[in-house]
Amino acid sequence: MPRAIVLDRRDNVATLIDSGQPGQACTLQGEASGEVVLLQAVPFGHKVCVRATAAGGDILKYGQVIGKAAKPLAVGEHAHIHNVESARGRGDKAEG
Amino acid sequence: MKRTFLGYPRSNGTVGVRNHVAVISVMDNCNPVTRAICQAVDMTLPVTTLFVRGQYGHDLEVAFNTLAGMGRNPNIAAVLLVGLEEQTTEEVARRIRPAGKPVEAINLQPHGTINAVAEGTRRALKLALGASRARREPCPVSSLLVGVECGGSDTTSGLTCNPTIGAMADRLVEDGGSVIISETSEFLGAEHLFAARAKDEAVGKAFVEAVVRLEREAVSRGMDIRGTNPTQDNIRGGLTTIEEKALGAMAKAGTSPLRGVLAYGEAPAGKGLHFMDAPAPAVENLTAMAAAGCQLIFFGTGVGNPIGNMVAPTVKVCGNVNTLLTMADNIDFDASEILEKSAKVGAVGDRLYDFAVEVASGTRTTSELLDIRETAISRFAPTI
Repeated sequence: MPRAIVLDRRDNVATLIDSGQPGQACTLQGEASGEVVLLQAVPFGHKVCVRATAAGGDILKYGQVIGKAAKPLAVGEHAHIHNVESARGRGDKAEG
Repeated sequence: MKRTFLGYPRSNGTVGVRNHVAVISVMDNCNPVTRAICQAVDMTLPVTTLFVRGQYGHDLEVAFNTLAGMGRNPNIAAVLLVGLEEQTTEEVARRIRPAGKPVEAINLQPHGTINAVAEGTRRALKLALGASRARREPCPVSSLLVGVECGGSDTTSGLTCNPTIGAMADRLVEDGGSVIISETSEFLGAEHLFAARAKDEAVGKAFVEAVVRLEREAVSRGMDIRGTNPTQDNIRGGLTTIEEKALGAMAKAGTSPLRGVLAYGEAPAGKGLHFMDAPAPAVENLTAMAAAGCQLIFFGTGVGNPIGNMVAPTVKVCGNVNTLLTMADNIDFDASEILEKSAKVGAVGDRLYDFAVEVASGTRTTSELLDIRETAISRFAPTI
């Protein structure tokens, strides 16, 4: 069973330290326990959502904000650049 | 009892962990001569550079200071400068002389390449004969200034190699040594936590200003930082945003108070942890650290970045089991037991500290033995 680490109790994502396949249950370690079922394949080192998050909601890792949800995230969903975006250094969003 | 390593005490009170004769190019057109001399004489280290000719103002000052800083580095016993003409060469030489080591110079004009290589080889031989008389002796670890870097990062970096380097950095600072963390852009999203560790308000403010200045620069150019940082290999390794990368990167600095903020290549005036405002890409960042006088660099990597510094031996630390298999020839220290065996970061950090003392005493790194080393001085203005 793939393992995923939760670094802070406030976190809504966990980091996989094995690779996981869709439908596979993933064991949570660290600051959380239990399992989440992966909705997609999640490669080694990538993150899975462990708490449902609305679009625009904060993504938390290390108990800190690492970005915003660009789309709603369901539990078990692969959380990466396709659905999480940075809020920093965004010249593309600067007022012209 | 105070911890010691076997180093080379220098006349100005600093201590080298290596004992090289640096052959330093004053500008890019001198590099072929620098390389030829280094092929001819053992103990020499080629410090080549690009540009310098045509640089001006602050940008040129940084280039001169960085070349000279590498010459002043305690790992360097003596310096041979290879220049094009006397005046520019003297600009670098006069910045190295206060370190109290032998500094010689040769210029290509009007002698030509063959004569310059011959004369340079003769002088390098003399310098190397003198340098080879130095012997290692027990020196306090408090004489160490260590750079902490990361590159080719992934999500294992923030969980394994970087916190391990941080634990080692804490041990070194407790023993009176010094540490430099840099890579300004890789604090975006973590700067509030790091600023809170500043020894006073002025230091905290100087640090935050450096980060704000960089972000403002990116935004004012209409640049989306996502295009550069995290990099493509960071993203493949699971890092999603610069904030996530920064929180993992900051772990390299351990937990000690931030004592000061340094400009590019600037040497710290006191002991303890310092931040250097310098671009994040490894080759130029390591060059700035070596110029600041770092004798050793600890470099955390996840998906793998092989590069090391010419002057400061670079220890590659990795906690990603896959990279440890595929890029074993580029890694010096295995921190994978943190994820694979639930080992405590502090215990692995203690082991890395022991290894630091070993490398400072002469144990070689993969990037030294394979000569995976490069020099690049950051540019702050266009060439005229």
